[in-house]
Amino acid sequence: MTDVTTDNTQDQKAKEAYFTASQGQLIWARFKKQRAALIAAVILVALILSGIFAPFLSPYDPTIAGRDKDYTNGAPQLPQFCDSNGCSARPFIHAVKRERSMATNFRWVTTIDEDTRLYMNFFVEGDDYHLFDLIHMDTHLFGVEGGKIHLFGTDEDGQDIFSRTLHAIWTSMKVGSIGVFIAFVLALIIGGVSGYYGGWIDGVIQMITDAVRTVPAIPLFMAVAAFMPPEMTAEARFFYISLILGFIGWPTLARRVRTHLLTERNQEYVLAAQLCGAKPGHVIRRHLLPSFTSYIIVDLVISFPYMVLSETALSFIGLGLKDPVSSLGVMLQKATSADVLLNYQWYFIPVIFFIALVMAFVFVGDGLRDAADPYSEAKK
Amino acid sequence: MLQFGRFVMVRAMMAMTTLIIVSLVVFTLMELVPGDCAERYLAFKNTQGSGISLEDIEIERQRLGLDRPFLTRWASWIVNAFQGEYGDSCILRVNIAQLLGAKFWLSLGVCLASLALAYAIAIPVGIISAASNNPFLNNGLRLFSYLGLAMPNFLLALMIMLVSTIWFGETLTGLFSKEYRDAPWDWNKFVDLMKHAWLPIFILGWSATAFALQTVRALMSDEIGKLYVTAAAARGVYGRKLLWRYPARHALGPIVNSLGFDLNRIFNELPIVALILTLTEAGALLIEALARSNDQQLAGAIIFLLTASIVTLNFFTDILLAVIDPRVRKSILR
Repeated sequence: MTDVTTDNTQDQKAKEAYFTASQGQLIWARFKKQRAALIAAVILVALILSGIFAPFLSPYDPTIAGRDKDYTNGAPQLPQFCDSNGCSARPFIHAVKRERSMATNFRWVTTIDEDTRLYMNFFVEGDDYHLFDLIHMDTHLFGVEGGKIHLFGTDEDGQDIFSRTLHAIWTSMKVGSIGVFIAFVLALIIGGVSGYYGGWIDGVIQMITDAVRTVPAIPLFMAVAAFMPPEMTAEARFFYISLILGFIGWPTLARRVRTHLLTERNQEYVLAAQLCGAKPGHVIRRHLLPSFTSYIIVDLVISFPYMVLSETALSFIGLGLKDPVSSLGVMLQKATSADVLLNYQWYFIPVIFFIALVMAFVFVGDGLRDAADPYSEAKK
Repeated sequence: MLQFGRFVMVRAMMAMTTLIIVSLVVFTLMELVPGDCAERYLAFKNTQGSGISLEDIEIERQRLGLDRPFLTRWASWIVNAFQGEYGDSCILRVNIAQLLGAKFWLSLGVCLASLALAYAIAIPVGIISAASNNPFLNNGLRLFSYLGLAMPNFLLALMIMLVSTIWFGETLTGLFSKEYRDAPWDWNKFVDLMKHAWLPIFILGWSATAFALQTVRALMSDEIGKLYVTAAAARGVYGRKLLWRYPARHALGPIVNSLGFDLNRIFNELPIVALILTLTEAGALLIEALARSNDQQLAGAIIFLLTASIVTLNFFTDILLAVIDPRVRKSILR
C-alpha cells in the first residue's frame, strides 16, 4: 500500500517537473534522449575547445614563423613507447637527419635516426602567442627535447600541420560565427519586414528574395570575392569573406522568419494578448519572439556548416583567405598537385577533422530541431 | 486549354521578371569591379610598350559605349543577353558567345546528367527505405545523407583523386583524351567523352543524391502514414502497386519542385570540381575569368547563363507539375 503511494507521489513529482519545466529544460530533456546527437554534441564541444585553445594545444606557431626548416614535407611523427632498443615509460620520437650529398644524388633526403630518442615534454615553453587574443603566454601543452615533433607531418614550407589544423578549426568557427551573425541580422530585418507587414510589401520582397535565390551563390560570390584587391591585409580579407558568407546565407533564413511571423501573428494567443491591451512592442517581445527563438537557434546551427564549407571552397580556389591565415581551404590549395597526391598524403589529415566538425554540427542541428519541436513526441 | 495556355504565359512572364531582376543584380555587381574594360584594355597596351594617356582611356570608353548612363547600358546588355549576345571579353578580346558556345552546353549537359543520376538513385531507394522498417537500411541512408552534406563535392573529388593516384596511378582528370580535345564532334569523340564524363557526373551528383534521398524519404514517410493509403490497402491494393499508385504520386509534386534548387546546388560546386578535375568547360572558364584576370564581362555572362538555365528548368518543372498533378491542374483550370 505504501509502495503505491510513493510511486504515485514520484509520478506526481515527475509530472509536476514536466509541466513546470521551462522551454529550455524541456528541449534539453528531449535532446538527451537522442544518443547520436548527444555524441555529436560531445565531439562538437571537444572540437570547439581545441579550436579555442589552439595556440596552447599546438606545439608551434602555425604561420611561417613556426616553421621547421629542416623538416619540410615531413611525414607524421607518432610518439611511441617502444623501439628496437627497448621500451621507455616516457613517449618519444626518433630524431631525423637531413642530408644532401653525392650518395643521395644531390637531393635532400630525410632519414630517421633509430638510435637517437627525443623524449616528449609537457607544458614546455615555446613560441609566444596570445590566448583569446589577450593573454600573453608561451607555454605549450607538449613538445620534445632537442628537436621538433610534428604529429601530422609538415607541409612544403615546414609548417606543422597539426598546429595549423587546430588554428584552422578556430578560423572556421570565427568565419562561420560572423557569417551566421550577418546572415541572421539581414534575415531578421528582411524576413521580419516581409512577414510583419504582409500584403504588397511582402509580395515584392518575396519576388526579389526568390530571384536572388535562383542565382547560384558560389559562382556569384566568387565574382564578388575577386574584387578584393590583392594587397588587402589578412584581417581585412577575413572580414570581407565573412561578410560575403553572410550574404550567401540570408535568403533561406529570411524566408523561414517570414513564414513563421506570417503564421504566428494570426494565432489566438496573439489576439488574446492584443485584446488584453498589450502594445505591439510587448506582443512581439513577450509572445512572438519566444515562440520562435528555438527555431531560429536551430536554423543558425544548421546553416553554420554551410558557411564553413563555403569558406573552405572559396579559400581552396584561392579567392578566400590566404596565408598566413590557417584555414582548411588554404591548407588544401597545394593538395591537388601530383607530387602531394603521390608522396605527401598527410596533407589530407585535416580533412578528417573538418568532416567531423561539419558532421557534428549537422547531427547536433538535427537533434536540436527534433528537440525544439514540441510535437515531435506526439508524432512518434 | 485556353486557361492552360494562360497559365503557361503567366509562368513565362514570371520567369522573365526573375531573369530581369537577376540580370540587374549581376550587372550591378559587374559594374562594382574597380576599373572598367577600357582601362583594362589600355593597361594591357601599356605593358606592350605603347604609352597611353587619360584621353586614350576616354576615347576607348566612348568606343565601347561605357560613357552612357548605367541604366542604358544595363538595358542594352539585357536585350543583347536575351539574344545570346554578350559582347566581347575584356581581357581575351574575343566574342563571349563564341568563346563559351560549346563549352557551356557541355557543362550544362554534365550538370543535367548528374541531376538525372541523383534522382534515378534517390527516388527508388528513398521510396523503398521509407516503406521498409529495416534499421540497417535506414541508418545507412541517414549516414550517407549526412556524409553528402559534410563531404562536399570538391572534397570528394580530392579524395577520389587521392585514392586513384595511390592505387591506380592515374589522376582521372579532364573530359577528353588528348587526341579528341580539339577534334570535331563525331561518334568517337562522344564515346571518349562518356569514358571521361562519368567521374564528374558522379562527383557532381553526389551531394544532390544525398539531399534528394533525404527529401524523397521524408516526403514518402509523411504520405505513407496518411489515411488514404490505409484506405487503399483496405481495398486490397498492396505491395509495390500501393506505393507507386498512391503515396508516390503525392510525394512527386514537391520533388519536381525541388529540381531547380538541386541544379542550383550543382552549379555551386561546378567551378571547384572543374578546377580539381581540370575540366575545361564553363565552370573552369568562370574561375579563369574571376580569379586570374578579373574579366567582368565574361563572368557576368556565365553567371547570367547559369541562372537562366535554372530559371528555365523551374519554368518547365512548373508546367510539368501542372500536367502531372491533377490538384495543380484543377487550381489553374477553374
